Amino acid sequence: MKNSHYLGIDVGSISANLVLIDAEAQVVFADYRRVDGWPLRAAQAALAALRAACPQAVLAGVGATGSARHLVAAALGADVVQNEISAHACAAIHVQPDVQTVIEIGGQDSKVTIVRDRVVVDFAMNLLCAAGTGSFLDAQAQRLNLTIEEFSRQAVRSERPTGIAGRCTVFAESDMIHKQQIGHRQEDIVMGLCLAMARNFLGNVCVGKEIRPPIVFQGGVSANQGMRRAFAELLKCELIVPEHHLVMGALGAALLVRRAAPAASRFRGFDVCERAIDTQAFTCPDCANACEVIEIVDRGEIVGRSGGRCRKWEGRAGPR
Amino acid sequence: MKPGLAIQPWGNYSLALAASVECLRVEPWTQRSTTPETLRLGVEASPEFACLSFKACTGHFIKAAQEGVRYGVMVNSRGTCRLRYYREIQQKILQERGLDLFIFGLGYDGLKPPLIRHFDPDLLPFLRCCARAQQKTLAVDALEREVWRVRAVERQPGDATRVLNECLADLDRARSVPEIRACVRTFKPRFAAVPIDATRVPLRIGLLGEATLLRDRYLNHNLEEILGGLGAEVRNFFLLGDEVRNIFRIGLFSRNSRWRLKRLARPYLENLVGGHALDSVAHALRCAQEGFDGVVHVAPAGCMPEVSVRPILRRLSQDLDLPILECSFDEHASHVGVVTRLEAFVSMLRERQEKKPRKRP
Repeated sequence: MKNSHYLGIDVGSISANLVLIDAEAQVVFADYRRVDGWPLRAAQAALAALRAACPQAVLAGVGATGSARHLVAAALGADVVQNEISAHACAAIHVQPDVQTVIEIGGQDSKVTIVRDRVVVDFAMNLLCAAGTGSFLDAQAQRLNLTIEEFSRQAVRSERPTGIAGRCTVFAESDMIHKQQIGHRQEDIVMGLCLAMARNFLGNVCVGKEIRPPIVFQGGVSANQGMRRAFAELLKCELIVPEHHLVMGALGAALLVRRAAPAASRFRGFDVCERAIDTQAFTCPDCANACEVIEIVDRGEIVGRSGGRCRKWEGRAGPR
Repeated sequence: MKPGLAIQPWGNYSLALAASVECLRVEPWTQRSTTPETLRLGVEASPEFACLSFKACTGHFIKAAQEGVRYGVMVNSRGTCRLRYYREIQQKILQERGLDLFIFGLGYDGLKPPLIRHFDPDLLPFLRCCARAQQKTLAVDALEREVWRVRAVERQPGDATRVLNECLADLDRARSVPEIRACVRTFKPRFAAVPIDATRVPLRIGLLGEATLLRDRYLNHNLEEILGGLGAEVRNFFLLGDEVRNIFRIGLFSRNSRWRLKRLARPYLENLVGGHALDSVAHALRCAQEGFDGVVHVAPAGCMPEVSVRPILRRLSQDLDLPILECSFDEHASHVGVVTRLEAFVSMLRERQEKKPRKRP
């Protein structure tokens, strides 16, 4: 179909992103908004914004990614449900075909993906520590009484970044307070924090990985000028921040569903953004694990399930 | 009433281990995997830095003691991992909590291990019982192999696991060697009846690392099923049948004998690091030789032997172009995080397979 569009939606810990691409993989519409604790409502609001902006769009496929992908996929009706690592890599390769390294830092996770000849060959994701992710920067900006945008602008102005211990974010915070108390300038502290976070990322997540340019930097944190500058200084090369750096996960999901080209989309229609979609939980009685399984209910009908240690309930609709 | 004997959970092998103590005139008490409850008990009682396997095992014994079980048995071999001291520490934890459960160590302690000395079974029933346990262990080995193969290609997700559970229940009921053999003969046809999609080409992924985590499907977040569901045929390198053979030094010339593994691993690992470190290195090399698409290395966070082999595995991965995913688990590991990593690993392997298929011998 000539007029067919593909929708990618990425709902993570902090933000819900939505991208609409056309059959030629050009971005037609992009939306970035904060989740604020309501993943499903954020997804619905993003969809409503899409309908308002492009009422004529015909959806030929929907791809879902992000940590809330199963919930969103069930509620909206998605054709492709893919993990965010693959989705981000797919988008980065699409916008920068010669990319060798993808650094993606989001709300609560940070990952590095190594790409060679347009194929992902290795990846790593922060495991036991959320140091250097968006949530931490948010919290520190708040402590300094700055918005995250001001934080970003201040960092660029710094001439002598303050050295801040970055091994652990709790200690980084105490060190930052100490540096404030002995009179370091605010912009230097802000840039010092960015450098500490970047060093932590390179030392923990990227350990043992061969970081080669061209490097694409994306995810929510890539909007932060201070973090861009920190990585550029530490890696001694310019990073490529793509135009749609905030919504690369959603773009990846859209590209993946475009590649899969489903014959008939499972999309449940734009009306889902108006309905009150509810969830309910039950404890699976089948084994000693006693998993809690979530049922997604739309107009009294169970449209999907998620949760549980075995795959028994994943995505299953209909009565129990 | 017969006294109870708590046995460390060893995944599906728990039923074989339970069979092995029948002749001691005790009631075996075990679970097929750690449960949320036993893990919670173990985490509360254990030192914070102890590994996940320790915490799970401690919790298991606490639960057993609460249910009135008087004895327990666990492996504490002369292995050079901290496991060597775990029995003593667990015994102390139980004592301090006022729980009356004595844990026998199964290690090298003279000709008659303390467990046998204490219960003193008659020789003939004892030998018969050992034979039954050995047969059941081998039967579980066979079942595991079947389920790995079928799960990757089943049409209806969960079919292979259902058949596995049915087979295990039957195996548990079998009381004599001929009965066990008859039961084993039904395995193949039962798995053959599962509808499969023969057009799918499964990826082949080796699972190696620390034994408890490889075997306990609660602790490893159901790794085998997740990978199977993503269309990967796994091979879990911890099979108790092989392990028992190695402990008793039978089958010196089998493919998995200690001696063979040592020779295989020598270019990368010359010294003993303890635990299953040697096995991990040797089996990773074997995966590369046999054209596996990738390897998942599983260890509890802070596991000394497995952490020591990680740099070796990284080197090996580069040298032999074998993707290795490192998975560390502790009680805080998020299930979503584990699934996301495994999904990303599998889709990476798929992409690689499409671009340049590995040679399969």
